[in-house]
Amino acid sequence: MAKLFERRLRRADSPLAIAGTTALALLAAMLLTSFLFISYGANPLQAYFALFHEPFATLRGFGYALVRASPLALIALGTIVSWRSGLAYLGFEGCFVIGAAVSSWLALLTAAGARLGPLPPALFLTLAIFFSFAAGGTWAGVVGMVRALLGGSEVLISLMANYVAIFILQFLVSGPLRAPGSLPETLELPRATWLPFILPGTRAHAGILIALLAAALVWVLLKKMPLGYELIVVGFNPLAARYAGINVAGRLILAAFFAGGLGALAGTVEVLGSQHRLMEGISGGVGFVGIIVALLARLDPLAAIPTAVLYGGMTVGADAMQRRAGIPSSITFILESLAVLLVLISDVLRYYRINPSALWNRPSATIAEGAPETASEGKDGGTGE
Amino acid sequence: MSGAKIATSAFLVTWLAASVRLAGPVLLAALGEVFSERGGVLNLGIEGTILLGSLAGFLVSLFTGMTWAAFLVAMTVGIIASVFLAWMYVTVKASQVVTGLVFNVLALGIARTVYRRALGDTALPQSIAMFHPLHIPHLSDLPFIGPVCFGQTILLYVTLALVVIANFVLFRTHFGLALRACGENPAAAHSAGISVDRIRYVGVMISGATAGMAGGYVVLAQVGLFREAITSGQGFIALAIVIFGRWNPLKAAGAALVFGACDALQLSLQLFGTRIPAQLLPALPYVVTILAISGLFGSKAVPPAALMSPYSKN
Repeated sequence: MAKLFERRLRRADSPLAIAGTTALALLAAMLLTSFLFISYGANPLQAYFALFHEPFATLRGFGYALVRASPLALIALGTIVSWRSGLAYLGFEGCFVIGAAVSSWLALLTAAGARLGPLPPALFLTLAIFFSFAAGGTWAGVVGMVRALLGGSEVLISLMANYVAIFILQFLVSGPLRAPGSLPETLELPRATWLPFILPGTRAHAGILIALLAAALVWVLLKKMPLGYELIVVGFNPLAARYAGINVAGRLILAAFFAGGLGALAGTVEVLGSQHRLMEGISGGVGFVGIIVALLARLDPLAAIPTAVLYGGMTVGADAMQRRAGIPSSITFILESLAVLLVLISDVLRYYRINPSALWNRPSATIAEGAPETASEGKDGGTGE
Repeated sequence: MSGAKIATSAFLVTWLAASVRLAGPVLLAALGEVFSERGGVLNLGIEGTILLGSLAGFLVSLFTGMTWAAFLVAMTVGIIASVFLAWMYVTVKASQVVTGLVFNVLALGIARTVYRRALGDTALPQSIAMFHPLHIPHLSDLPFIGPVCFGQTILLYVTLALVVIANFVLFRTHFGLALRACGENPAAAHSAGISVDRIRYVGVMISGATAGMAGGYVVLAQVGLFREAITSGQGFIALAIVIFGRWNPLKAAGAALVFGACDALQLSLQLFGTRIPAQLLPALPYVVTILAISGLFGSKAVPPAALMSPYSKN
């Protein structure tokens, strides 16, 4: 007699099973959040419509969505490079701060009358990208080096390093780079150093183009280059990688370098494209949210951009919703984090298969491990808190 | 006594008293985290748990005026949050790092939503009933050590008592031994008849309880307000203290004092307007922690061998 839900010996790993359980998890997250909307007296369908209308149906809102998405996408790409190489790097808050600080410093040096004097915008941008990538890469590369050569946990080290970077930022904006005035922040960066706005009538800036370029490069690296292949092998099985003659330590350090560089670019893009000055608290948790974006994109570089735009857009839509309907924008934090948690939980469902035949109470002819095409798509059971 | 000497002594007293005060809540959170990590679970979710605990403590104190009830509710909220976290870590076997980080975002969303729900859109900062510093006759009036050691609230003494209890439980009881076994070699613990899952649940729940209490501590004994910025980062500081204290409750107390001292010194130096880059001081203990994990400073801080690895029986 077959049971309706039968435990599989191995997890179903077909694309259909993954897509099915992920979709189920996202639906469950939206369903749970619907109850919150209802508690505010709002129709959930209208609330979701409002959440997506502003960022994706108005030009202005879309511009803001791109502004929010650019740093998120870059951090997500950094996460993808390092996590796929088996390096659980969490130091993107720090890299973001380092990148923002380096490019602000450079920008202030090019102000009229400052040490460097005005540079052509193209030259400045090239220099800013180069130096912030190098600085962020070095910052993270040290963590990679400690992990690869000394064996310290990169999770703990990179979390601690975030604070060191944040204190350095506090020092810079209240000491050497501080503008005259009461607030700990720098002068506004010279206009020539701002990233150009790309959509007339919006705040969207060229940062999203940098993110797109970076996504393409990361995709080429991981999918088309021997180096990327080696990184992924190191991520899957460092021992096997070593037997295959791959320099595991070197690859880990390189992965950390790329990740840190991309994280620093996020800071550069934010400060040159949107904030236009360096100040305390500039990162605002974006280093962790970027990691969540990468996870929702299932560590796929091409999926990272649309996921970041979706995430950025929801933030914009939530602010609009709060202004119009008085529903707190913090609900999107709940929606977004529930989505990730439920996707994690939904992996449990892939250990089960459904036997519809059990519904008719017929003896089943299927053999336990013989029919992998019946991808499991369990219903409920996975919706915890 | 000369004027300079009085100023120095006043500076020292304020500095040390502030160090002890700042060390209290993070030490409390670190104590629980020691249990979770000794059992093999890195509970990054304490950051969010502290936030939820501080909100719960704030609301209960605001509406009832009972400080102890508020503190206990904060603890209970911490335990409830950690049951969910433990389920994710132990039963679902999801990545501990991812679960913890995402939970922190969830907690932030919940805290903001609940706060607005409870107090409305234009909530002015409300102050609440708080624990007052104890005045112990004679002891509190002692010069120097009086204000430093005996001018604190009862919660500090609760924390110190828990340090001793934690050390005893971890190193002198069956439960402590089982917990450490689960963190070092869960397979061996399992063959010795220990239920790894159950022990790890308890470990995570202890860390949730102390994180919730730490949140309540900050709000009920130090600030009297709810602001998410007040507790932000405290969970990660606790994490650093656990490493710095090498997963040992007594050493964690010392580590917490070092972190508190650096933080307090920075504040005092800023007040005195010296030319020392005071903002860099609080970074120092983090740098030392990094050096300790990587083995570049003192003997290497080695985490429990099975930290961050889920255990399944087959």
